[in-house]
Amino acid sequence: MTGKPFQIAAFLAVAGLLALVPLLGSEYWLGVAFIVAMWIALIQSWSLLSATTGYISLGHAVFYGIGAYVLVVSLDWMPVPYALALSGAAAGLLALVVGLPVLRVKGPYFVILTFGFAELVKNLVMLLETRLGQFSRMIFDAPSLEALYYAMLALAVIATALAAWTAQSRFGRGLAAIRENEVAAEAIGVPVTRLKLFAFVASAIIPGIVGGLLVLRTSYFAADQAFDPVVSFTIVTTAIVGGLGRVSGPLLGTLFLVILSELLWARFPQAYMMILGALLIVFILFVPQGLAGLVSKGLKR
Amino acid sequence: MFQQLLFAAVVSGALYALVALGLNLVYGSLRLLNIAHGDLVMIGAYTAFWSFTLLGISPVVSLATTTVLCAAFGFLVYVVLLKRQLGSPALAQRLEANSLIIFYGLSVILQNGASLAFSATSRGYQFLDGVHMFGGVSATGSMLLLLGVAAAITLGALAFLRFHVAGWSLLAVIERKDAAAVVGVNVERVQMISICAGFAIAGIAGVLVSMTQQITPFMGFPFTIAAFVVVIMGGLGNIAAGIAAGFVLGFIETFGVALTSATYRSILIYGIFVGVLLLRPQGLFGKAVQAR
Repeated sequence: MTGKPFQIAAFLAVAGLLALVPLLGSEYWLGVAFIVAMWIALIQSWSLLSATTGYISLGHAVFYGIGAYVLVVSLDWMPVPYALALSGAAAGLLALVVGLPVLRVKGPYFVILTFGFAELVKNLVMLLETRLGQFSRMIFDAPSLEALYYAMLALAVIATALAAWTAQSRFGRGLAAIRENEVAAEAIGVPVTRLKLFAFVASAIIPGIVGGLLVLRTSYFAADQAFDPVVSFTIVTTAIVGGLGRVSGPLLGTLFLVILSELLWARFPQAYMMILGALLIVFILFVPQGLAGLVSKGLKR
Repeated sequence: MFQQLLFAAVVSGALYALVALGLNLVYGSLRLLNIAHGDLVMIGAYTAFWSFTLLGISPVVSLATTTVLCAAFGFLVYVVLLKRQLGSPALAQRLEANSLIIFYGLSVILQNGASLAFSATSRGYQFLDGVHMFGGVSATGSMLLLLGVAAAITLGALAFLRFHVAGWSLLAVIERKDAAAVVGVNVERVQMISICAGFAIAGIAGVLVSMTQQITPFMGFPFTIAAFVVVIMGGLGNIAAGIAAGFVLGFIETFGVALTSATYRSILIYGIFVGVLLLRPQGLFGKAVQAR
């Protein structure tokens, strides 16, 4: 039941179903599907670095925020597709520039460093915007929700395919070696620094484009919202609830998160956040393999 | 003007030293980074606020009730979340990596719980707000109380570590847990007391903060960040250097903001944070304890 052809068929079926959502003709469901695709794209990208190497990033909102900012600024100069490409490129470039020094830091230090770095960039962008006399920016004549949705879905599919490819590639085995024992990996000739940097950049590009797409969807940019640390927090929580180390983890985690958020977020935002926090603790301590682990155990039985 | 700034720097430095002391105790003896530390400051602040406004209880009394309350909370966290994990080496290894995420979950619960219970409105009360003049420096009574309490606790902690045999066992656990157990230190007991003391100190800092500024359910987070900056500057687990680093941050922040403007405050703090982690993760003054 858990063979590779079965998995590929299951992923194609999920992607196909999601691709049909616009046919429902419901603005509400299209919006929900957009959010589902967004979290899948973000979490699969995050997993590329954090689930594979064990370098837990608590600052991925920085790539998402940079993507959003670059898009809203560059839209004055170029058409939407180019602006989106630029968003992804900017996020990748940022990861490339800070990657070498940041990835030298290990363990809990890395976690708090990514968080502090994201907050530093957020405050710098806020200062810059204040200096420019901008408190928020609006986007006029953004593409239709349907077009944005297909773009987001494409990102989710690409990110998932990338995660699946990584899992069975030489690259992925190198990253797993880093997670298990970085010193030993280096000793047997794994190019540790290069692999980590490559994973970091790869995990930044898609979140950059996602940030751009979300700004087009909301037609509104404010630095403190675009760089909201809650985004980083939600990525980590959802990935852990879904299950690290399995390609299906982010899909199950996202499904769970979106249902929970549709039920609670609008009416009881604080209760929603409290439940997320409790889930994080419970899954870390008692269900470390996540929902994906539970499902695969259930299937085997 | 200069003396006034100097005084402000000393006050905020003392507060940072106090908050960071609690964080450092927990990290040193348990090797857990408590990202919910600032939220205990928030709990202390609300305890003092409600005691004062609803029951008319002086914040000086709240210092005692908060100590008990936060220490009890620390005990609860230790027993429910940590004890089983710390007991077995295999689980403890995983817990170190996961502790940040667990405490982040706890922080989210505390912040949103407080926001749900008390609403997100910022609140404050007046206590000892008469201004005293000392040679060109004006200080409120609450600031002087803050200074006195912070000085008593930090100096007390230093003396305890230096002169009391229980302080030596704490130092031994911070330095090398396994070796401490071999020479007869009850490691579990030291860890439990450390987490209770660390939480209680954060709560006390919260009472002091509530006398001098407005409080909100989300006020804890900047304190967590400041405490991390301080503890990392001093070297994780290095108690005395952490206290010194608290004053360093107080001076840098106060004079940095005075020289530029308040909008640079966050950038300054996070800049130091990122810079120290990148350049000197072992601390400015000496060396941090080994991660394991």
